[in-house]
Amino acid sequence: MATLSLSINGRSVTAEVEPRTHLADFLRSDQHLTGTHLGCEQGVCGACTVLIDGKPQRACLTFAIDCDGADVRSIEGFENDLLMNELRAAFSKFHALQCGFCTPGMLASARDIVSRLGEVSEKRIRLELSGNICRCTGYVGIVEAIRSVSLGKAPESFAVAAAATRLERLGADVVIRSTETAPTSQLGRSKGEGGSLEERIVINAPPEEVWGALSDLRRVAPCVPGAEITEIDGELIKGRVKMALGPIKPSFRGEARVSLNPAAREGKMTGLGRDKGTGSSAEGEASWRVIEGPANGSVVVVSMNWRLTGMLSQFNRSSIVRDVVRGLATAFAANLEAMLKGDAPPPSEPESLNVLQLIWSMIRQRLFGRS
Amino acid sequence: MKPAAFDYVRVRSVREAVDLLAAKDDAKILAGGQSLTPMLNLRLARSQLLIDIKRAEGLRSLAADDSVVAIGVGWTHAEIEDGVFEDPTRGLMRHVARGIAYRAVRNRGTIGGSLAHADPAADWVSTMAVLGATLVCEGAGGKRRHVAADSFLQGAFLTQLASDEVLVAVEVPRLSAQARWGYYKICRKAGEFAHALGAVIHDPARNICRIVVGATDGPPKLLPGTAAALAADPMSEALDGLDQEIIAALPEHEPAARRLHATAVRRAIAAMSTRMDH
Repeated sequence: MATLSLSINGRSVTAEVEPRTHLADFLRSDQHLTGTHLGCEQGVCGACTVLIDGKPQRACLTFAIDCDGADVRSIEGFENDLLMNELRAAFSKFHALQCGFCTPGMLASARDIVSRLGEVSEKRIRLELSGNICRCTGYVGIVEAIRSVSLGKAPESFAVAAAATRLERLGADVVIRSTETAPTSQLGRSKGEGGSLEERIVINAPPEEVWGALSDLRRVAPCVPGAEITEIDGELIKGRVKMALGPIKPSFRGEARVSLNPAAREGKMTGLGRDKGTGSSAEGEASWRVIEGPANGSVVVVSMNWRLTGMLSQFNRSSIVRDVVRGLATAFAANLEAMLKGDAPPPSEPESLNVLQLIWSMIRQRLFGRS
Repeated sequence: MKPAAFDYVRVRSVREAVDLLAAKDDAKILAGGQSLTPMLNLRLARSQLLIDIKRAEGLRSLAADDSVVAIGVGWTHAEIEDGVFEDPTRGLMRHVARGIAYRAVRNRGTIGGSLAHADPAADWVSTMAVLGATLVCEGAGGKRRHVAADSFLQGAFLTQLASDEVLVAVEVPRLSAQARWGYYKICRKAGEFAHALGAVIHDPARNICRIVVGATDGPPKLLPGTAAALAADPMSEALDGLDQEIIAALPEHEPAARRLHATAVRRAIAAMSTRMDH
């Protein structure tokens, strides 16, 4: 808990808050100012829009503790506000609300539109209102109400010009320009909502030897990046897979089943895991086939197929999902190649590294005669 | 949803933030928080510690010389939109700022936070890449590194910032009076994350022509071939090589996504041709 002092609707408030409490919850639950509504809690719907230091902001994307010293104005704080009174009357006149859920946020944004822009066109109002979602009344009445209030008004001056100081340089700055990017795959492209990738790895060993190494699932499973195996029972593997993508760090716990077809030198692994942290599930399939390559060598054809459901996929950003998939697939292919070539495994989580290293030394000794 | 519990520290200096980053695993810098907080609310991200740099000294600085304006990372999108300080890019930055999310988000979100968060669809990521800007990163002992904006991203949400570095300023080169620019992003709804983005700058006086395709699955990509063709013939609308260059630049994208990206770049170039003066 931390102490917070701020002004709410002109009243000085001091309170103890948990850092994770956002301003909307603080206003509603702690201050009993329930006029601030919560819809999406991810900044999209606009129902929680309040004024912080005179500027409309998302109360769901602002932590209460971050408002220490701020001047917060929620919908309850506009009793004597001339412009808000005009807007309120216009909202009634133009039938700009039915259920009223979006209205507090709509009014906060509407007041900002009129005071910042003065008389404003319907087109501009619609653009400015794109961050406030109404699901019952529709926007016609809302836009008309705002337009009617704006007529004849001039924008309030708001921007205070900031002047630049002289840029001082300490000698010649070396600008780092790297062409190096994170290890992205040279693989096939992803498909649909999940991902599907194919990679061909050329190995300088005959197919039967390569197949021999691949047919033991103790060796294959650890090639899944960040994987930690807790149990192997016949064809069933239990464990977890950790990933990191910027601030998103899911850890999928689940199980996988492996089936092998020695005659065709084909293997297949299907798995399903759940990440409690993000409330997401991943299911996938990896298959590998060893075929004859050039000069008595082999080619391992690896293909992967992944699908994510839950919060991670509902985040509505397919590129995130694709990157998770691609990162996994790339690392799996690289690990598999490293294992087959007898190279050192790439750095991994310490706990999974132990599993990797154990199997590593076994493989190197048996397959490649190195230690 | 509500975020998982975390600790919160408000720092007064970048040095303090750097020390905390070095001392704690899983700490995250909080600036405006307009990208990080949704991830925290959805519990996609679960940071143990948020280091709030909003009020740290020097992050709302502004320094300029004849060729560059160095913008502190703490300026908000709305302040850039409103022209609170001089726009060295002949209106490009103001135009871009106005198209970021919604006004309520722009009032809190910062240019530096957006760059450090490194969402591939973020406007500043592509804008700074096309401008050839330089990002100033500060680490232990106040040591500063200058990183070219066009190679700052390593992938989605992955940057060249070290784990104990803070992005402190963006050095934006000045465009000349003859410079023209075009910017176009394809969104399903105003303010939504872009599905594809094109940005172009042609500044004959400085002998610069740069084109960026952005909102990819990873870093924004420069299109030097198309840029050279455009520089050679500024009125050319043909740009025959664009589709091929997009395929080469985005090999992992679906054909439909590539088409969308090519369209965004074409529209950015077209917007430039028709708007001689911004």
